[in-house]
This record gives sequence, C-alpha cells and structure tokens, in this order.
Amino acid sequence: MRLTNHLISRITLWFAVVMLFWSALYFLFQMKEIHDGNDEGLTNLKQEFIAKANALPGFVEKLTADTPLNFIVEEISREDAEAFVETFQTTTVYFATELEKEEVRMLSTAFRCEPNGKYYRLRCFTSTVESDDLIKNMLYLLAALWAVLSLTVIIVCKVVISKANKPFYQTLAELRKFRLDNNTMIAFPETQIKEYRQLNEAVAELLSGNIAIFSDQKQFIENTSHELQTPLAAVIARMESMLEKHQASREDAQEIAGALSVLNRMKRLNASLLLLSKIKNRQFADSSPVDLRALLTSVMCELDELAACKQIAVETQGEASPTALMNEDLACILLTNLAKNAIAHNEPGGTIVLRYEPEAVIIANSGRESAVDPFGRYRSDSKSSGLGLSIAKAIADIYGIGLEYGYEGQMHRFTLRIAKPEAVLPRLCFFPNLYGIASYVCIITN
Amino acid sequence: MKILVVEDEYALLKAVEEFLSAEKYVVEKATDYHSATEKVMLYNYDCILLDISLPGGSGLQILNEMKKEGKAGNVIIISARDSLDDKVAGLDSGADDYLAKPFHLTELHARIKAVLRRKLHDGKQVMRLGNSSVDFAQRLVCVDDRPLKLNRKEFNMLAFFATNRNRLIAKDALAEHIWGDNIDMADDFDFVYSQVKNLRKKLKEAGSDIVIENVYGVGYKLVL
Repeated sequence: MRLTNHLISRITLWFAVVMLFWSALYFLFQMKEIHDGNDEGLTNLKQEFIAKANALPGFVEKLTADTPLNFIVEEISREDAEAFVETFQTTTVYFATELEKEEVRMLSTAFRCEPNGKYYRLRCFTSTVESDDLIKNMLYLLAALWAVLSLTVIIVCKVVISKANKPFYQTLAELRKFRLDNNTMIAFPETQIKEYRQLNEAVAELLSGNIAIFSDQKQFIENTSHELQTPLAAVIARMESMLEKHQASREDAQEIAGALSVLNRMKRLNASLLLLSKIKNRQFADSSPVDLRALLTSVMCELDELAACKQIAVETQGEASPTALMNEDLACILLTNLAKNAIAHNEPGGTIVLRYEPEAVIIANSGRESAVDPFGRYRSDSKSSGLGLSIAKAIADIYGIGLEYGYEGQMHRFTLRIAKPEAVLPRLCFFPNLYGIASYVCIITN
Repeated sequence: MKILVVEDEYALLKAVEEFLSAEKYVVEKATDYHSATEKVMLYNYDCILLDISLPGGSGLQILNEMKKEGKAGNVIIISARDSLDDKVAGLDSGADDYLAKPFHLTELHARIKAVLRRKLHDGKQVMRLGNSSVDFAQRLVCVDDRPLKLNRKEFNMLAFFATNRNRLIAKDALAEHIWGDNIDMADDFDFVYSQVKNLRKKLKEAGSDIVIENVYGVGYKLVL
C-alpha cells in the first residue's frame, strides 16, 4: 500500500469515528435544549393554570367537563396528591386529525384547588420536535457533510502528501538506480522538509562511506592480483630456463615440469579471478547486437579439432539466429566456455547438440550425470581452473540472459535464454581469433 | 639484433635476458622510467619489450614520447595489467603487440620474431629448416619445394616450433600458444599430444628433416 493511500485511509477512518461521535453528542445536546424550552413553557402553563384555578371558583370543574386538548385534569385523593412527584416525560398522543400518534412533551403534576379544597392531577402537554425526524434529518445532513468533508480531506491529503513526499520518492528512485561500483553519488532532490533533508544527508553519508570502502577493496584486490602476475612471470621464466639450460636429468626435468604446471594453473586461476571480478564490476562497456549463431559456429570451428580428437560428433538443430545485445568479447568468452565445457565433460565418441531457437541457444552434450552444481564457484580439478562456467554465468547475469542447466535424456543441457531485442538487428560476423579469456584483444601472430 | 628490455622486476629481467642472449640477441636493460626514456631516445633498437608500470612513470608515457619524436620502435608491451583499456591504449600509442604477464619465454620469443618479421617487409618471411621451409606470410610449409598440407593448428604449432628451434617447449606453453592463454581444461594436453603426433606423421611422410622430439614427457623440441 502506498504511503499516501495508507495515510488517507487512516485519516478518513479516524475522521469517520470522530464525526459519528460528534453527531451523537450534537443530537443529544440539541434534544436536551428543545426539551428544556418545552419544559419551561409547560411549567409556566401549569403555574398560570393553578393561579387561575385558585382565583376562579368553578374553573377546574368546567375544565374537567370540557377537557381541552392540551390539559387533562383528574381528581385524585389527598394521599395520592401528597405523594405525587412532578415529572416531565416524552410520550405519544393520538391525534385524530393527523391519524397518528404524535410525540409530545408532558408535565404531570398534582395540586390542591383552593375554592373547593379538592386535589387534582394535572397533565399538560405540548407537541415537540419528533426525535425520529430530527435524527433522520440530522443523519442526512451529517452524511452529506461527512461526504463533502471526506472528499475534501482525501483530495487535500492526496495533493499535500504527494507534494510533500515528492523528494522522498525521488530519493527512492535514485537509490534504486544506485550501483556501488559506479563510484558516482546519487543526486538528491532539494527539499524544505527537515526530515527528508536529514534522510538525504544520512543516505549520502552512508553511500559515500560504502563507495569509498568498496573502491578501496576493489583496488586492493585488483592490485594484489596484478602484482601477483609479475613475480609469477619471473618464477615461470626462471624455471623454464632452468628446465632447458642445465640439460636436466629426466627426474629433475619432470620435477620442474610438474612445478611449472602448478604455477601455470595458478596463473590461469589468477587471470580467471581477475576476469570474473571485472565482469562482475561491469568493466566491459560497448554492447552491440551479437549474432550468437554465427559466433557459436566460429567458436565450434576453433574447437573442431579438439572435438575430433575425442571423436565427438557435433549436430546442429534449428534455423533461428538468436541475437543478444552484449559486449562481443564477453559473448565470445561465454560461448567458448560453454562449448569447451561440452567437449571437456563429454565421453569419447559422444555427441554435442547445438540447438538454435529464436530466443534461446541450447548446448547439450552426452555424459554421465553428476551431482555437482555446475555453476559452483570452484570445482577442483587437476588442470582446469574450474571457473569457466562461473565466468559464463557471470557474463549471462550481467546481460540479463538466463543460463539454465538441466540433465535429461543422458545429456547435460545448458540453455541460454535471451530477452528479445526490440528491433531487428543486423547480423554480425565475428572475428574468429577473438577468443579465450585473456586473448580478447591479443593479436596472435605466427 | 638489439633488444631493449624495460622491466623493473629484476628476476624476470634476468630470465628474459638470459633467454634472449642465448638466441644471439644483444640485450640492453632498463629498470626505471628515466633510464628507459634515455635509452629509447639515444639509441635505435630492433625491438623494445616495455613494462607499463615502472618506477618513475608509465610505459605508456614512453610510447607517447617515442611517437612525438617519430621513433619507430617495434614495441611489445609486457604488462601485469591484463586490462582491455591498457591494451587499447598501448596499441593506440603505437605498440606492436601486447603480452600479459605471466608469459612463457617461448611465447615471448614467438611474438618478438613476429614483430621483427612484420617490420622487415622484404620478403624474408621464409625460414629454412633443412630440406623444409616455413613461409610465415603465406602460411605455407614446403618439403623439398613440395607443399605440405597442414591444418590451421598444425601450422601454428610448427611455426611456433620453428621460431623456437632447439628449445624445449613445455606442453603448457604449446597449449597456450594454440588456444590463447585460456586453456581451461585438462583434455587439452591429450589434444596437444595427438596434434603433435599428426604433425610428426605428416612431416615424416613428406620426408622432412624436421624432427620433433619428446623431452621426458614434459615438452617437445624441434631439431634437425
């Protein structure tokens, strides 16, 4: 629920409760005021009546016989009269003209008539406001008022709150776009509201701190990885010349070669980690539409001798030419790693199936099922760095390409799902030698 | 042939120097920005191996100054910074090749040879090996003037062996030369083995003097 709607619904609810309570209170006060007025009139009437009855002998008898419309005079015993308590009450009386009972305010009292010494009960009444009608009318009016006020509250709240919250939503949108590795601080909107200013300041402080720490760490890792390369180069070079120079014995040569091979693995691991970190830091710009069919075909062409060496048959299915908007070199690394994986984890005499669909490329290879997560960060293997598929996954991730693994029909199946580019894009031919992790701009000459 | 090696890591510098001296190159050394700039400006070299991060300055600065002075250098950048930006900047500044550290000395040698060959421009791109010849420009191998049919990888392999004649080429170095420096799988060594076997067979059938020796199972060596 949006903040504005939340606030409006809460305000409206409370508003309704207060209005209801206030309406009831208003109604009760109003009725009390009306009854007070009526009661006062009835008291005056009573006093006039008793004064007149005492002054004019025969007045009471005459009235008792005549029974005027708003007086009922009845003779009662002295005991009853003395015990009588004067009361006001709201009751109903049947009016023949109206054909219905009308609400009236009635005063009941008792008095002694001086001229004849008799005791009488007097009930005089006056018609009053009908509370039903009053309630009904009041409810109508209050409902109208309530509706108008609610509408006003909603509109005003919506406008005011939305306006007041604008800097907040702008900050939120900026935060969504924020990327730690971009090294750029987000732009905060100007605002007069103190809390939002404080929020912006707090966020800015937090972000700049994080950016600084992240850059330091990144720099440190990159520097360390890079710095490792030179000593590694020195050791490899020294050992290679040692291997050659001294006409080493077979045992020594094999020892040195073994050590060299471990060093080489370390070198590749370091290079792969550097690449992985660069991909994850999105240090590859320049996206362009890449024809994955053409690219995979050229990659497979590079690898065909390798496949032939294991007697692996390569089969192509589907006529589609899926296109992905991405960096060409990374596309090449992605497909090369998947293709190499399909060859490496294949059995001698196995098959590779390349299937092209309009929005997917499937690379499947025969082989035994394995329980290992193929995208695991590190798979220990004697020669492989084990990072090939992690790199492929990292590349797919940054371009929003789905890379799924499945095992069905005795085949390992890697599926690349490409979100369809909006326009029909021109096909690109790929330079076949651009290939492999570190050779993406290397010019290989012979 | 005179080669200047600009590198601040002494151990690496020494290994490169020894290797190149054995190949009969005259090797000059510089270990920082200022001595490197001085040497580059004063003398002419057939090839310069240039590290990018140097004490006192950047190798890219040296390249830019060379460009300003109109010095044609035959420069190969050897950098620990295996980054796209540096490669592009280096090649833009007039470097001829870019080799990321760490590298195999045999690979470095192949790159130096390639740069030197490219600058010759006088058709001397053919190397004679006994009764055989390797034409690097046309990618052609002839045995007794009869062309020998090799596939792309076999030619690359033979060219690499020919450039590093009589040198032990480790299996790692060979595999990396063929695949770029990303051989991320164990099977590549079996592949190298089968490719070498095929190459040997083809050379033998054609009657070539070239022999590719297996050295203790750690690598190969081309001998005549």
